[in-house]
This record gives sequence, C-alpha cells and structure tokens, in this order.
Amino acid sequence: MSVKSGNASTRDRTQEFLGIAERAKKSISLQNGPSSSGSKREEPPRSAVAMQSEFNRRASKIGFGIHQTSQKLSKLAKLAKRTSVFDDPTMEIQELTAVIKQDITALNSAVVDLHDTSSHSTTVVDDLKNRLMSATKDFKEVLTMRTENLKVHENRRQLFSSSASQNPSNPFVRQRPLAAKPPASNSAPAPLPWAKGQQSSSQLFPKNQVEGESQPLLQQQQSQQQQQLVPLQDSYMQSRAEALQNVESTIHELGTIFNQLATLVSQQGEIAIRIDENMEDTLSNVEGAQGALLKYLNSISSNRWLMIKIFFVLIFFLTIFLFFVA
Amino acid sequence: MVKITALMVLKCRPEGSDPVILVNASDLSNFGFFQRPSVKEFIVFVGRTVAKRIPPGQRQSVQHEEYKVHSYNRDGLCALGFMDDHYPVRSAFSLLNQVLDEYQKNFGDSWKTVQDDNAQQWPYLSEALTKFQDPAEADKLLKIQRELDETKIILHKTIDSVLERGVKLDSLVEKSSDLSAASQMFYKQAKKTNQCCTIL
Repeated sequence: MSVKSGNASTRDRTQEFLGIAERAKKSISLQNGPSSSGSKREEPPRSAVAMQSEFNRRASKIGFGIHQTSQKLSKLAKLAKRTSVFDDPTMEIQELTAVIKQDITALNSAVVDLHDTSSHSTTVVDDLKNRLMSATKDFKEVLTMRTENLKVHENRRQLFSSSASQNPSNPFVRQRPLAAKPPASNSAPAPLPWAKGQQSSSQLFPKNQVEGESQPLLQQQQSQQQQQLVPLQDSYMQSRAEALQNVESTIHELGTIFNQLATLVSQQGEIAIRIDENMEDTLSNVEGAQGALLKYLNSISSNRWLMIKIFFVLIFFLTIFLFFVA
Repeated sequence: MVKITALMVLKCRPEGSDPVILVNASDLSNFGFFQRPSVKEFIVFVGRTVAKRIPPGQRQSVQHEEYKVHSYNRDGLCALGFMDDHYPVRSAFSLLNQVLDEYQKNFGDSWKTVQDDNAQQWPYLSEALTKFQDPAEADKLLKIQRELDETKIILHKTIDSVLERGVKLDSLVEKSSDLSAASQMFYKQAKKTNQCCTIL
C-alpha cells in the first residue's frame, strides 16, 4: 500500500489516503468474509470496518485541523516578522496566538485518545503526532522571534525617547500611542496642537502686562496652559521623530545617488576602454603604412633597378638594330 | 531673522511663591538705549510668571506679542528662553536642555539654597546667547540636515558633470573610430603603391 499521505503544507491528501485504505481493508475483509465458515466471523470484520471508518474519519479530521493550524501559524510568523517600531499589530498577534494554542491543545488531546490496534492505524497516529509536534515547534519558534523583536523595539524606543522616560506620569503614557501613529500622518497633526496652543495663550498673555490684573487671569491661564502642555510634549516628540525620519530618508537618497554615480562612471569607463582600443588600431595601421612607405622610398631612391632597366632597353634596341641591318 | 533675546535660569519652588532668578543673560541690541531698562524689567517679570506657571518636568511655550517664551522645567530648575517666532521650537528646547546640563555641571546642587535674585554670575550663559543665535548650533539634527542637503546639492552637480563627461567621451569614441578607419585606408594605399608598379 503506497503511503500517499504527502506533505500537509502543500496538499492534504489524508482523506484520499484514508478512503483508499478503508476500501482496501473492506475488500480484504470481504475476501476473508465469504471464505470464512461461521457467521461469527462476519461480525468482527464488519465492526472492524465500522471501527476502521470511524477511525479514518477522526484521523482525517485531526489531519485537517493540523493543516489549518499550520496555516494560521504561517500567518502569525509573517505578522511577527513584519512588526516595526511604529505600528505593531499586538492585538491581532495575541488573538492569533491564543487561537493557535487552543487548536494545538485540542488536537493533542484528540490524537491521544485516538488509538487503535492494527499496525496501519498506529502508523497513521504516529504520523499525526509527528505533524502536531512540528507544528508546536514552529509555534514556539515564532513566539521566541516575536519576544526578541519586542525587546529590540523596546530598546530602540528607549534610545529615541530617552527624555520622555524621565516623565513617568501621564504625558509619557500619552506619548506612546502618538508615537505609534504611522509617520505619514505626522505632519498633519503636528501643526494643529501647536497652533491651538498658540492661539489660546496669545489671547491671554496681552492682558497680563499689569501686575494688578495678574491674579484672576493667572488661574485661567493655568487651566488652559495645562491643556496645552500635553499636546506640546507630544508635538515636541513628534517633531523630533519627524526630523529623524527626514534625516534617514535624506541619507537613503544620498545612497541611491551614489549608486547611480557609480553605474554612470563604470559605463563611461567601458567607453574609455573602447576609445583606447580604437587608438591602438590606428597606431598599428599608421606604423604599417609608414613601413610600406619607407620601403617604397628605398625602392625609388635606389638606382640599381634603373641601371638594369636602361641596360635592357639598350640591348633591346641593339638587337632590333642588328636584326634589321644585318 | 531668527534671534534669541534672552536666556534665564530660575529656581522654581513647587507652588505659590515666585521663582528665584539664578542667572540672566539678554541681548538687547535691537532696542534703543532708553528702552533697555524697561525691556529688561519686562523680561524679568514675564520670565517669573511663566516659570511660576509651569508644572515640573514639562516643556512649555507661550506666545507673547512678537516673542515666544520657551520654558523647560526639570526637577525644580527651570530654563527660559525668549525667542522670536522664527526660531524653531525643537532647537529651542534642545538649547534649554543644554543650558540646564551645563548649569548642573557647573554649580551642582548649590542652586537649591539660593534665595536672592541674580546671586551668581555665569559667563557661559552670555556666550551661549551669542553662539546659539543660529539655531543650527543648538540642534544637532538641524545641523546634520543642513549638511546633508548641501551634500545632496553637490552630488547633483557631480552627476551633471559626469553626464557631460559621458557626452564628451561619446564624441571621442566617434572621432577615434573615424581615425582608425582613415589610418587603415592610408595603410592599404601605401601597400598598394608599393607592390603594384615595380616595373616603371
């Protein structure tokens, strides 16, 4: 019987496998059935078949549950890897973790009380147990990764908001959700609390010149200044965070510019090499031509061939003259 | 133009009584000679009021006519700065931070026992006043951002010149290939005249 259970992560063929196993067992038991003499033997095969199908159904359910749990686990791993300093989906992660834990415990108990005598079922149960163990191991790994990430983010957050950590009271608690806002929306809320605070204080302060009027106004000022204190603290932190992000993006842009510069220069280097080759070809051509011309000059300036030519011409005329005259 | 008009360090008692001015430094060059004493009085009074109102461990900015008063209270020691509207808020607070740190380094905890105004002299504050007229000095982030922007401009110019160099190199390639073709023709001609007419 081929073990076609395959990997649960790619395709869950447990049901097919269990169905085929069931049919095979039925055929074997049916073969055994008619050959057996007593009716007593019909009972155990049928109950064996019934037990078998029951076992198969439960085993298939457990396998399916393990597959679903591993899918959820992969989602959780993606979420945990994705967390950054500013927006971490803590709630989702915690929910998902709780759900996965429940599933794993339920599957564990289901596998434990699913056991049967025949050898095939023990292999199936072992396989299910193995898959469940690997799922729990992955789950533990994801949890450790998540705690490590949280620690790293805590450190980074403390590095950046070291002054805020001196105020353990309300303003600090209010800062964290504000710091957790996505950076894109930083510029919009930042001017607003600042502008609000400005307006309220500018209305009050011009009246404050004379000392006599200072007393009733100071109380008004205090309440309103307290209102603007908390947003001011937040906007201060926000502006620092925004400035840091600007610096970071500028540095990143500078990096890309340098890369482009490097590619341009390397391309131009290739062009320069081509120019060099062209010049070398020209040089060799010119040298060859110069040699040829030198040879030509030598051949022209030497008189030997000329004398031989004149001599031949003379002999030619002499012979012609001799032939015609004599 | 961004300007700091005055810097003050005060001791803020928890509630009720007026804070005690520890050190005061101001730059009143903008005002005429006869206005200076009244402006100084005004600065002292406003500073005391603001310092009285600020709760401990907080940063605060109050707008008054054309000045902003930034105040930072840390453990009862309060630093105030009178700046104009253009001075960036963040650098103002980092400047106040620095001032407080320096003060604590210089004077330790002796400020806690001071009861009278202006009992101590501190030349650092007046130096700081002149040095930090440029907000980039106070705020490292601002300085870094400025330098990075300059670097970016320089790099843009560099890339432009590199592109020009590329264009020139292209023309050089053309010329050199023409030259090599011409030299080849020359060589062939020379060979031809050499081989062909050996007779006559």
